[in-house]
Amino acid sequence: MKKYTQTSGEIGDFSQLPIWQKYALVDLLYVAYGLLIVALVLVSYVLGMFNLLPHDPQQINIELLMASPLSDGYLLGTDFLGRDILSRLIMGIQAYFLPGLLAISISLIVGVVLGVLSGYRGGRIETVIVYFTNLIDSFPRLVLILLVIAAFKPDIYYIMIVMGITGIPTVTTAIANKIRFLAQKSFIEAAIALGLRTRVIIMKHILWYNCRALLIIQATLGMGEAILLETSLSYLGFGVQEPVSSWGNMVQSGANYFLQGNFWPSTAPALAILFTILGFNLLGDGLNNILEDRRGR
Amino acid sequence: MLKELALAFLLLLGVSFIVFAILYAAPGDQLNVLLEGQLPTPEVRAGVREALGVAQSWYGQYFSWLLGVLSGNFGTSIRTGLPVGPELLSVSLNTLYLTLGSMLVTLLIAIPIALYASARGHLVSISWPLTMLGYVISALPVFWLGYIAIYISIHWFNFFPLASLGRQSDVNGWLYTFVPVMVLGLGSGTISEVIRNLREEMTRVMAEDYVRTARAKGASVWRHAFKEGLLIPVTEIIAAKIPFILGGAVIVEQVFNWPGMGRMAWQAAQDRDFSVIMGIALIAATFVRLGSLLQRTICAAVNPQHARE
Repeated sequence: MKKYTQTSGEIGDFSQLPIWQKYALVDLLYVAYGLLIVALVLVSYVLGMFNLLPHDPQQINIELLMASPLSDGYLLGTDFLGRDILSRLIMGIQAYFLPGLLAISISLIVGVVLGVLSGYRGGRIETVIVYFTNLIDSFPRLVLILLVIAAFKPDIYYIMIVMGITGIPTVTTAIANKIRFLAQKSFIEAAIALGLRTRVIIMKHILWYNCRALLIIQATLGMGEAILLETSLSYLGFGVQEPVSSWGNMVQSGANYFLQGNFWPSTAPALAILFTILGFNLLGDGLNNILEDRRGR
Repeated sequence: MLKELALAFLLLLGVSFIVFAILYAAPGDQLNVLLEGQLPTPEVRAGVREALGVAQSWYGQYFSWLLGVLSGNFGTSIRTGLPVGPELLSVSLNTLYLTLGSMLVTLLIAIPIALYASARGHLVSISWPLTMLGYVISALPVFWLGYIAIYISIHWFNFFPLASLGRQSDVNGWLYTFVPVMVLGLGSGTISEVIRNLREEMTRVMAEDYVRTARAKGASVWRHAFKEGLLIPVTEIIAAKIPFILGGAVIVEQVFNWPGMGRMAWQAAQDRDFSVIMGIALIAATFVRLGSLLQRTICAAVNPQHARE
């Protein structure tokens, strides 16, 4: 559970400085790396969608089993059936990209509604919402998903709906805390005194002007979690099945060869998972430090 | 404290209801299995229900299941035909060893690093690589880390950690437990958050007036900073991370063939074994609530002011 605290401070003091002096170098590096990864994922997703791949990801090549990277024509080598690892990695993005977006949308939309209700209204509604978020937080996410798989079927969209629901508490708490912090500021009071409608205050002055950054950060971190979850589940055998590739089932199917000393077929997807999740997490945390002024200047 | 207990009880009641509701909404009727190929017409189904004494209404079914669970009767597994209760007890104990052990590993690694980092102030030279390492570890897929550990155990130390827990009579029996515990402790991604939180809290507490006073009069700084700077943040983050660690345990148990709740849940999800998965979800939620209750108790014992709020 990450704590994002809001520190007060003068805003706009350094606004004339160029961007690399305004923010810590580390944060800029984080964000740059994260954006690079996001761009790579997006491009690969589009490539995979139109089947613009170096090889057919299902094409078996018996001549060239477990080729090492950079061997002829196969940039990242081949797996234990001689299938091109790079193509399979690119196709693996199809397994989590849209489902991940669905999960994030659910978390954000429901989380914002509940967060606004509990932060702005307070009172009895807040008690109910706190109970609800505690209730969701009581389940280990993976156990709840296994429960849903047992009840319905191992469909990635069902799984991602559950993932979205389990992501609600984090967003709710973050939004509610932010609103409680904002409520002490005079501009909300001024808006009320000016007779603005509650809807306008919430939508425009609270959410749009002050929670944009927070929502982008939550979305980024949520994507990292969605990838972690999808890969874990396809590793466990729920989700995308062979011969269609996902990063989790690629690690899993390469496992036996891994123990014999052929590391690459299992390690390539594992590294893809590592670098991608790292990218989303660093992007989220870097943006958090930059946009929410967390690091003292 | 009574309020906390009541809240935990209410939450567990809600958990049981959600678990029941999900499985109630599941398509198909489990009792069809008992019809042995007869066409499941409504009359036949009603007959089976009546013969088995299964309540017709959803609340009847819910309360009879809940009463059973409260008296220790978790139902019968479809796969084994045995009562779920005793097996649940043994697997949840196995999972408890795994998770508690891994928490210990996490703390033993994270606390010294965090204390060192906060004692040296915000030295960029050590805190940056550490933060980076934390990020990398929390992004690392834990199953792949498991394979590395297995590979190292086989090829360097000449033992095979997959037959875990069954081989504890061996001389090196402890290794079969040690490897999965290490993998979960390192790979669950909790280390980086413990370090980050602890360093922030410790630095904050070290700057407090009472610590400065203690230092000025020559009293032990450590004794004054321990409660607020170490004990409370550690218990807080561990309690918040229990669901996460249990989720990681599902994977690690799968990798190492560890006979715990996670493996059983995995099996039950494949078999659509409702009694088993219901029991596991309840027990996992109970672990989470107990952890949070324990954390509140420690907080209240350390700082009675918190308890009165």
